[in-house]
Amino acid sequence: MAESPARTAFAEEALTHLDTLYRGALRLTRDPDQAQDLVQEAYLRALRYQHSYQPGTNMKAWLFAIMRNLFWDRFKGSRKEDVSLDDVGEFVLYDKLRDEGAKPEADVLDKLAASEVVEAVEKLPPLHREVVLLVDVEGFSYKDAAQTLGVPIGTVMSRLHRARQQLQRSLYDYAVESGIVHGNGAGPVPQQ
Amino acid sequence: MNCNDCVEKLDRYVDRELNNTEVLELKLHLEGCPPCADQYEFQASLKRLVKVCCDQDTAPEAFREKLRQILL
Repeated sequence: MAESPARTAFAEEALTHLDTLYRGALRLTRDPDQAQDLVQEAYLRALRYQHSYQPGTNMKAWLFAIMRNLFWDRFKGSRKEDVSLDDVGEFVLYDKLRDEGAKPEADVLDKLAASEVVEAVEKLPPLHREVVLLVDVEGFSYKDAAQTLGVPIGTVMSRLHRARQQLQRSLYDYAVESGIVHGNGAGPVPQQ
Repeated sequence: MNCNDCVEKLDRYVDRELNNTEVLELKLHLEGCPPCADQYEFQASLKRLVKVCCDQDTAPEAFREKLRQILL
């Protein structure tokens, strides 16, 4: 079936955001096959509701909103226990490492493996994970993130803050597990 | 600006969400306060690290082609 030029142009533009959508879906589902299903469905829905997109506005945010809404439609009811983030309290990795005598950047951040960082992000509950994906990974402003998620800016800020606390705690645990720091106040592990 | 005010605003500073006046005030504080400057560097590094590590995945070429077939 021949598509109209307008529809083709819309689809072409939408596909320029594929990597962002795929990355987001991959981090949300934590499964490449599910991520592809989710993204494909999001694109089909986007084309179906093309008329509701206002040209000149942020198409990446609009597409991401469709994708994450689909994710939540599927997610709802199945794993509710994973939705909330336990209150980790104020955990400031920087302070923790300084207290242990480590140089936070040189001793720890530079030594963490990319896979550990990705895993720490994926361990966040989805409500908090998606804020980190939008603001930290994709560089969305708080305002665009708020519109994408359908929440007030204050909610974006509080979720982001809690997500970062949890993230820092996870990274600290990795640093201890992998021997980068002792985790007992004895400072960084000496170099061989 | 004191250190508490500075730390409270660091999230928004690394996210480029402060207005011009707040940015100037914060920069002034950071210039004269090495502990806060270190903490800022750490938070900025952490944000960069998360981006770099999570930014590496791209859609598989076969999937991209499949979508083009379906959508175009």
